[in-house]
Amino acid sequence: MQRVSYVLSALLTVLWFAPLAAQAPSGTVQGRVIDQATQQPVAGAHVSLGGKAAITRADGRFVLTGVPAGSDSLRARVLGYAPIAQAVMVRAGQEQTVNLVMTAQAVALTEIVVTGYGEQRAGNITGAVTPLGREEFNTGRVITPANLIAAKVPGVQVIDNNEPGGGLTIRVRGATSVNASSDPLIVIDGMPVGTGAGGGLSAGRDPLNFLNPDDIENITVLRDASAAAIYGANAANGVVIITTRSRSGVPETGPQLEYTSSFSTSRVTRLPSMLNAAQFRAAVQQYAPQNVGQLAQSSTRWFDQVTQDGFGQEHNLSLANNLGDTFYRLSLGYLNQDGILRGTTAERVSLGLTYQQRLFDDRLDVRANVKGSRTDDQFTPGGVLSNAAQMGPTQPIFDPGTSTGYYDWPGNTLTSADNPVAILALATDEGTTYRSLGNVHAAYRMPFLETLRANVALGYDVTKVDRTSFTPSVLHSQRKTGTNGSDFRQNPSMTNTALDAYLNYVAPATFMPGTVDLTAGYSFGESSADYPWFQATGLSTDVLGGNGVTTARTVQNGLDIQESRLISVFGRLNYNIEDRYLLALSLRRDGSSRFGPDNAWGTFPSVSVGWRLSDESFLRDVGGLSDLKLRGSWARTGNQAFANYQQYAAYRFGDTQAQVQFGNTFVPTIRPNAVDPAIKWEETDSYNVGLDFAFSNHRFTGSVDWYTKDTKDLIFTVPVAAGTNLSNFVTTNIGTMKNTGVELSLVARLMEGRNDGLSWNATFNASHNSNELTSIAGSVQEILVGGVAGGVGTTIQVLQPGQPINSFFVYQHIMENGKPIYKDVNGDGAINEQDLYADLNKDGVVNVADRRALNSPDPDWILGHSSYLSKGRFGLSYTLRAYLGNYVYNNVASNLGTYAEVTRASPYNLHSSVLETGFVTPQYLSDWYVEDASFLRLDNIAAEYRFDWQGRPFRVFGAVQNAFTLTGYSGVDPTAGLNGIDNNIYPRSRTFTGGISVRF
Amino acid sequence: MRLNAPKALAVAAALLMGGAAACTDTTVEPKSTVTEANVFNDPNSYLSFLAKVYAGLAVSGQQGPAGQGDISGIDEGFSQYVRLLWEAQELPTDAAVIGWGDVGLPEMNTQQWAATNSFVVAMYYRIYFQIGMANEFLRQTTDAKLDARGNVTPALRTQIATMRAEARFLRALSYWHAMDLFGGVPLVTDADALGATPPKQATRQEIFDFVVSELNAIIPALPPASAANYGRATGPAGSMLLAKVLMNAGVYAGTANYAGALAALQPVLAGPYSLASNYRRNFLADNHTSPELIFAVTQDGLKTQTWGGMTFLVHASCGGDMNAADYGIDGCWWGLRMKPQAYNLFSAGDTRGDFFFTRNQSVAVTSIGNFFAGIPAPKYSNLTSTGARGSHPTHVDTDFPMFRLADAQLMYAEIVLRGGGGSRAQALAYVNGLRQRAFGNASGNITDAQLTLDFILDERGRELLWEGHRRTDLIRYGRFTGGSYIWSWKGGTQAGAATAAFRDLYPLPANELVANPNLKQNPGY
Repeated sequence: MQRVSYVLSALLTVLWFAPLAAQAPSGTVQGRVIDQATQQPVAGAHVSLGGKAAITRADGRFVLTGVPAGSDSLRARVLGYAPIAQAVMVRAGQEQTVNLVMTAQAVALTEIVVTGYGEQRAGNITGAVTPLGREEFNTGRVITPANLIAAKVPGVQVIDNNEPGGGLTIRVRGATSVNASSDPLIVIDGMPVGTGAGGGLSAGRDPLNFLNPDDIENITVLRDASAAAIYGANAANGVVIITTRSRSGVPETGPQLEYTSSFSTSRVTRLPSMLNAAQFRAAVQQYAPQNVGQLAQSSTRWFDQVTQDGFGQEHNLSLANNLGDTFYRLSLGYLNQDGILRGTTAERVSLGLTYQQRLFDDRLDVRANVKGSRTDDQFTPGGVLSNAAQMGPTQPIFDPGTSTGYYDWPGNTLTSADNPVAILALATDEGTTYRSLGNVHAAYRMPFLETLRANVALGYDVTKVDRTSFTPSVLHSQRKTGTNGSDFRQNPSMTNTALDAYLNYVAPATFMPGTVDLTAGYSFGESSADYPWFQATGLSTDVLGGNGVTTARTVQNGLDIQESRLISVFGRLNYNIEDRYLLALSLRRDGSSRFGPDNAWGTFPSVSVGWRLSDESFLRDVGGLSDLKLRGSWARTGNQAFANYQQYAAYRFGDTQAQVQFGNTFVPTIRPNAVDPAIKWEETDSYNVGLDFAFSNHRFTGSVDWYTKDTKDLIFTVPVAAGTNLSNFVTTNIGTMKNTGVELSLVARLMEGRNDGLSWNATFNASHNSNELTSIAGSVQEILVGGVAGGVGTTIQVLQPGQPINSFFVYQHIMENGKPIYKDVNGDGAINEQDLYADLNKDGVVNVADRRALNSPDPDWILGHSSYLSKGRFGLSYTLRAYLGNYVYNNVASNLGTYAEVTRASPYNLHSSVLETGFVTPQYLSDWYVEDASFLRLDNIAAEYRFDWQGRPFRVFGAVQNAFTLTGYSGVDPTAGLNGIDNNIYPRSRTFTGGISVRF
Repeated sequence: MRLNAPKALAVAAALLMGGAAACTDTTVEPKSTVTEANVFNDPNSYLSFLAKVYAGLAVSGQQGPAGQGDISGIDEGFSQYVRLLWEAQELPTDAAVIGWGDVGLPEMNTQQWAATNSFVVAMYYRIYFQIGMANEFLRQTTDAKLDARGNVTPALRTQIATMRAEARFLRALSYWHAMDLFGGVPLVTDADALGATPPKQATRQEIFDFVVSELNAIIPALPPASAANYGRATGPAGSMLLAKVLMNAGVYAGTANYAGALAALQPVLAGPYSLASNYRRNFLADNHTSPELIFAVTQDGLKTQTWGGMTFLVHASCGGDMNAADYGIDGCWWGLRMKPQAYNLFSAGDTRGDFFFTRNQSVAVTSIGNFFAGIPAPKYSNLTSTGARGSHPTHVDTDFPMFRLADAQLMYAEIVLRGGGGSRAQALAYVNGLRQRAFGNASGNITDAQLTLDFILDERGRELLWEGHRRTDLIRYGRFTGGSYIWSWKGGTQAGAATAAFRDLYPLPANELVANPNLKQNPGY
């Protein structure tokens, strides 16, 4: 492979010239550099003597050969430590050992940060990278790893799903795509998971739930493209690197057993506001007197019937032992958490094993990780929330006259609501996910060239899922639609394998000042997945439940095989002159199976520079300034996270329900699909300028970043000229998008070293992103998206050039006294859009041309603040989060806040907003339902107390999550999912957790 | 631990890296999807592909009743061919209203659509989906392609020749709909490459000429009418289509050609068809057994499911005090009623109106949205002629009778009256034959003096109510737009008002004008 050999030969050229031997009498000096405070080795220190220089290895060791004989100073220098010098007498032909002890000055700068295919000192990073360690993670009941960093990282939005373990969405610096994924790449212990962006396969909840948060040491977010670009065609949405717990920080004091146990209870905080029985009856009497006869005399609060207090427990047991050359850690975890909706449970059993071994005089460093888990998810069956909203509060729960014992709406018509309690009792929906991720990483320090390390990493990621939903034929919904029971099961499985091989060379540069850190390698990733499923409907009997297929009217099944491959070569150069001038170049070339032969390969370069201004003479003596670094970068990254096989002219089989009758036989069909054989990845060009600063001896630190990201070749499914392709829409690269933003993060040790022992660390971050879809295609002015409940095919959002993606697309409702009007303004005898909405284009008629894009679900600003207080044995921490300028469409109000819903053949209950608006016909497209959902929330607050008992360290802790939310939004939750459409979303809960932890 | 193997390890690492680097093949072929490269390895694919061209009329996508839709940009159930065609042909006329408020639908009742109307847009793309499928079938079955594949037996080759004629029939059918509804549209054929530059706009006359020449070329090659060929385009179906095109030659090409229409109609009238003894037989779940159907779009409750088509027509016609079970279905959609002018065409004793549902329904359509305003005409039913329910309570077995003998007989009568030839006595006999079936006896028969063009239009309004012909008929009579015939809600008011003549054509989709800069919008839009 030509490209690889090119990179390799370039690298070797550099290496060959490195060890130029001196001819004069010389000796050898070797030794180890350690941190004075921690007694841990200091890696990456620049050690020099008599014109020779070396960089200390991970174990702090250095070797200087060919040092001219004589007396000289051995100097060591590394970022964040005070430089030191020690007099040494070098004797010709002799080897001597000199150990150096360095004193840290700025711990934050010395922190080792994992980046793609390597690690770097925090202070020398030229991109926008945020590492978070265990002590900074969110506390309480955390099922999904991404929740650990919610509100902690500037520019990173973790979008909640209130369901326990429910799928989280992470957005790093806004969405870059419409139809491909905007999820970041997830890398666990060096192995990318999933098939690109996102976390892989699951039974329905977050795919990363397989990873026990208690096993996670560190999560690093590569926010800007220059840092992420080493991941090429998968990097456009940022990279989240998760590192599991390993040797670091575990003392060599023998086996360490740790047990943590916690119990929690969750309570619902807010539910949709529906009419009570008396209000409902009054509405039916006034607007649909013909339906009064259907009303019963009960007073049922249906939402109370479907919610519960959710109990949970979690137990984690781990055994770790650091034996010097050998380290192992075994962990076991168990979690069980009920949701606040009846029927919801998340259960996880997880197992983790980490083994590290140094071999051959520490030349070979092997790390092996295996993580495995089984998650059992019980889902609240579909329709429970919507029917709890729709079901009339006048109706009873039970009815001894029915075959199920549950009350069914009389008339049994297509439009009547179903009894949500009956659905809960009779239908089941459950999933099981088995997943294991494992990898072996071997790093070998070459004997002929100490500064060269060869790395090979092999990994696998296997997932097997079972999702079974069973809806019995006796259920009202099944009888009214004639479905007569259904049994649906899908069993997808996915196997991903990855191989990374790369060389890493770190040494002082020979011909010029500074040090070079070169990485070059090859990566191969393959994914193979099967998606078998079957569905039986029209069940003859319900006796087997979801466990088998009885005689069924229709049995459908299918199998889909999805395979993909990504092959890459990559290289990176970090060049560092005295920590003052920093340069990083990277280049990745990706070949993806997702694109046709003409576009299979893409090149993704990046350049970033850093300049430590505080080391310049003009700033060196500025009072209070401890560090000041200016960063700038440009990078090109790609996004290939969309469906496989898009470039193939595929024929799709029709199913047995879509056959054609020829005479007396039915013929199945095949259909050629519209195709663009030249489809390729989306491409983002990013610029980032940042400033890192520290004052008062690093007591106050922070950074400011400004970025802009231009994405082109967006993949859209767009209309094509009739007759030119095989459908009216084809998926192709068309369209551009821009994200621009600023980010600020501050860290302050507000109180420390006080006599009373009180310390207070605080962090604050703020980020602003503005998204604009700059173009789609010449032919398309807008694409309607954001389907909502109400009507058929009603959409509330738009993709429109010049607007943020998914902007709400609504009419301007004319307001009077703070309320939307509802009256016959033009006197034509009907109340319709001509009366209620503003004629914005002044053409005398209100029609679709008067809908306009207004606000977007994305917040203008995301603010986060965390504090960590401690005094003696007590600790207290909390995290506050605020969104400003995010909008939510209250779909429950728009769909059910209209008296039309009681004039149905069987009336639905109404949203209480109807009392305010008086709408008789639905106004789905009114801007009145698009609400400012800015909020301030105490995400979590936690307290702990540490004590020793019988010589064992104990920790007792308690936490409250979602302690309070301040918002003007009238619906259930201002963080209503990704798209800002609040249509019977899972209600948010407040969770109280208490637990204890002990080490043996 | 001190093993003396570091050099070996270094070599192993180098080999591993080198070996890995050798793999640069990014090709991963799809496994569970077939592609152009291998689909025709199975000779059955030809018939399955042809079946898709038919399926484009019957269902909305590759999954029944919904899923993997053929066209995008509209709710899949709305996008079904027969449903869109029916709405375009019936809602703006004196025959029907639909009560739903889905965006774009209310304007269809009142001739007030705009170039962005999603139902007009979807009709356009549905037509071109059909044309695209037929063209691709023809491209994939050229002699050169068949030779190249080398697995086509002589017997299959003969069958493919017939299939090609059928695909051309279906393409001609859709081009007929295109020129009837939209006028001059792009003429794209199998001679044009896929994915090429946007096509040029043809005139309505050019489309007309193309359709006529295509039909003349393929009618001899189409399969004969027989029970085994039910659902397929037979020779008489080709003749019927040609007759319908020529019948409206004055509208499409500016020069009437009733003589040509008569010539085309003769093989249909002489064909193996006869009037069903019972009028309703043509509209029930077992209407495939009716001897009267010349070409039907087939539906089946279990095997040909859609949310459009007859599922739509049966369910949407049901509402109010009607009992869904009386129509063999599981629920009513509360949509379709007649405008009063259609209802008033029927006189007492005419059993073609027996199924109208009048309880608690008003004749006047005081409000389009209120199902109780206007008389529902549940002409189509999912019960069979023996009263049994169809195979599925939601998706009906009833086929859509696109062409049937009664239509041909009324066309004959109209041609005679318009001086296109034929026998006036035969014309009267055809009309009275239909009247006798409708009245059960001779009481409804008309005299020769009563046989006028106006009578024929009214009789078509009765006999062919809600069968998707009304708009074309009214345009041929010059009464669809303008003020010569006003009906309720024409122009947007309950009393009705004159509409502008440009509404005789639907607008080309606004987006299409941007996607294809060669296109010129129809006047008035």
